[in-house]
Amino acid sequence: MSPSFSEATRARFERMLARYPDKEAAILPTLHLAQREFGHLSGEAIDYVATLLGFTPARIEGVATFYTMYNRKPVGKYHLQVCRNLSCSLMGAEHLIEHMSRKLGIKPGGTTADGTFTLSTVECLGSCGTAPVMQVNDDYHEDLTEESIDAILDGLRQEHG
Amino acid sequence: MPNFTINGISVDVPQGTTILEAAKTAGIEIPHYCYHPKLSVAGNCRMCLVEVEKFPKLQIACNTIVTDGMAVKTDSEKVKQAVTGVLEFLLIHHPIDCPICDQAGECGLQIYYMKYGLHKSRYAVEDKVHKKKVQDIGGQIILDAERCILCSRCIRFLQEVTGTGELEFFQRGDHSEISIFPGRPLDNRYTGNLADICPVGALTSKDFRFKCRVWLLRGARSICPGCANGCNVEAHFKEEILYRLKPRQNDEVNKTWMCDPGRLEYKKANEARLLTPVNRENGIPKAAPWEAALSSVAFRLWEMVEKHGPGSVAVIASPQFSNEELFLARKLADEVLRTPHLGFSLRTVGDGFADDFLIKADKNPNTRGAKLLGISEEKFDDIVQNVADGKIRALLVFGNGIADLSDAETGRLLANVPFVVQIATNEGAVSRAAHAILPSASFVERGGTFTNHAGRVQRFWMGFPPRGKARSAIEIITGLANRLGAGWKSGGEAQVFRAIAQSEAPFAGMSYESLGELGQTAGGKG
Repeated sequence: MSPSFSEATRARFERMLARYPDKEAAILPTLHLAQREFGHLSGEAIDYVATLLGFTPARIEGVATFYTMYNRKPVGKYHLQVCRNLSCSLMGAEHLIEHMSRKLGIKPGGTTADGTFTLSTVECLGSCGTAPVMQVNDDYHEDLTEESIDAILDGLRQEHG
Repeated sequence: MPNFTINGISVDVPQGTTILEAAKTAGIEIPHYCYHPKLSVAGNCRMCLVEVEKFPKLQIACNTIVTDGMAVKTDSEKVKQAVTGVLEFLLIHHPIDCPICDQAGECGLQIYYMKYGLHKSRYAVEDKVHKKKVQDIGGQIILDAERCILCSRCIRFLQEVTGTGELEFFQRGDHSEISIFPGRPLDNRYTGNLADICPVGALTSKDFRFKCRVWLLRGARSICPGCANGCNVEAHFKEEILYRLKPRQNDEVNKTWMCDPGRLEYKKANEARLLTPVNRENGIPKAAPWEAALSSVAFRLWEMVEKHGPGSVAVIASPQFSNEELFLARKLADEVLRTPHLGFSLRTVGDGFADDFLIKADKNPNTRGAKLLGISEEKFDDIVQNVADGKIRALLVFGNGIADLSDAETGRLLANVPFVVQIATNEGAVSRAAHAILPSASFVERGGTFTNHAGRVQRFWMGFPPRGKARSAIEIITGLANRLGAGWKSGGEAQVFRAIAQSEAPFAGMSYESLGELGQTAGGKG
């Protein structure tokens, strides 16, 4: 079945669209809405956004694949995005990524079998003062250590049940 | 009008001209991939970097407008180094698979590498990013993503010319590639142009791939015979086989484009050809020498006229034939056979599709020409009626088929006529029924003119002499007329066209010289 926005998202979309004189400019925010709504941007979701905005699906695909923060593949319930840019790396990010990989049994880019976690490495999250940093869904976790990571992951797992 | 100097040469150019275009008028070539005269400027290939006095950095010639007093250098050491550097980057992930690439021989990368590159690659082959090869993306096109230099000509063509936008850039950085959205292949009738405008081997023609190395081909300026639009084309052939049609620039007609069905028109010149005169004796077709064939046809025509009067003979002309041939066919009917039964039959063939760009519903290259020469389409129905009524004893049919009649209908219609002569290039229902077949030359085996839907008279040139024993229809008609006592001087198409210009008002004042390569518009209404 082809996806479509819920009524609430549809309303948000309409309000958002009215702010852009040019529909092309609304592609990015619409893709964000779609990603929130559908979890990831499947081919069907791209097609849906294309129809919604009146572009070819190729145009939307081009935009969606250019930006790294749009997920073209399904991600776990918690998307762990660990910064590996300069400051975080100096503060041991690479080591933390290895630790998480071992703990979760997945490589960066992978998702745990139960669909709880996806581990990604990302570029600067703009919080160098509190490096190393990771973003879990919409939340930042700062000044990470192996111990704090264990606590975060265990907490999330419990929450997930 | 700004005046500027390029490599020391002083040039005047119209306001708003880019350096790249201005250089062309000064005879200076500036290398480029993404620039295309009929597409918007993208400025992303960076091959056209030039030095402009007082500019701190090199500028791209394709997007820098000439201003008065500007001094441009395209041959300085700085420019040469930059161009070589750009080319090295463009080639960095290139698979260098020229031996298996169909673009080899007409590839922008090969040409510019020999001219501006000749550098040793500093990038290890095993480090190259590989992308998908041999992708069927629909239409007439195969995509090889790793040969692509991301110039975006194809993307712009599909946005600006067809408006269909099937191709886009996907991903980013060195993973960037052009592609279609999965499951949405190219969906327009102009896809073949993508292979033409692709400066490298990324988009190649499905039809032409691996048929022939391009350096073995020779070209003849021609007109696409596929419809009434008269797109200017270049017919590429090797020996007596046509391999492809490519558009030839004519801004009044087709700019630099042509349609997909038109590109396949070349096949008619290769396949199912009538290559030898045939006389049917007691129902059995037999090859005959030209002399005998022409004499026996002339005799039968004369016999019918003598016995049953000129009204027993009819001529069905075809707008697949040139102005010159139609003019002679009309003279044959009017002055030699003196029959009132002369008409032409329109063939629509295929789906009769038309759009507001290049494809016309009338699938004949010379309908307007036939009308301007006073051959009537309405008469055709009249002739068919006479044939059905058994009043026509001899019928001269030009062309491979009659109107849009099916094979069975053609057979039934022609069964009413005791003597059917055909002048045509290809086998079909008419050739199976005809009592005599006089094989004529294909569009690339003779010269002449077609008049397109807008009345533009355009020349096409002979690429090679008629295949087999086929002859130009001018020779065939003249041969018949003279055997019927006409006493015409034999001559080529240029002479016949001179006669047309003298006696036919719409063509008055025209000559092959005045038509030139791009044609002229005929006067009067057709």
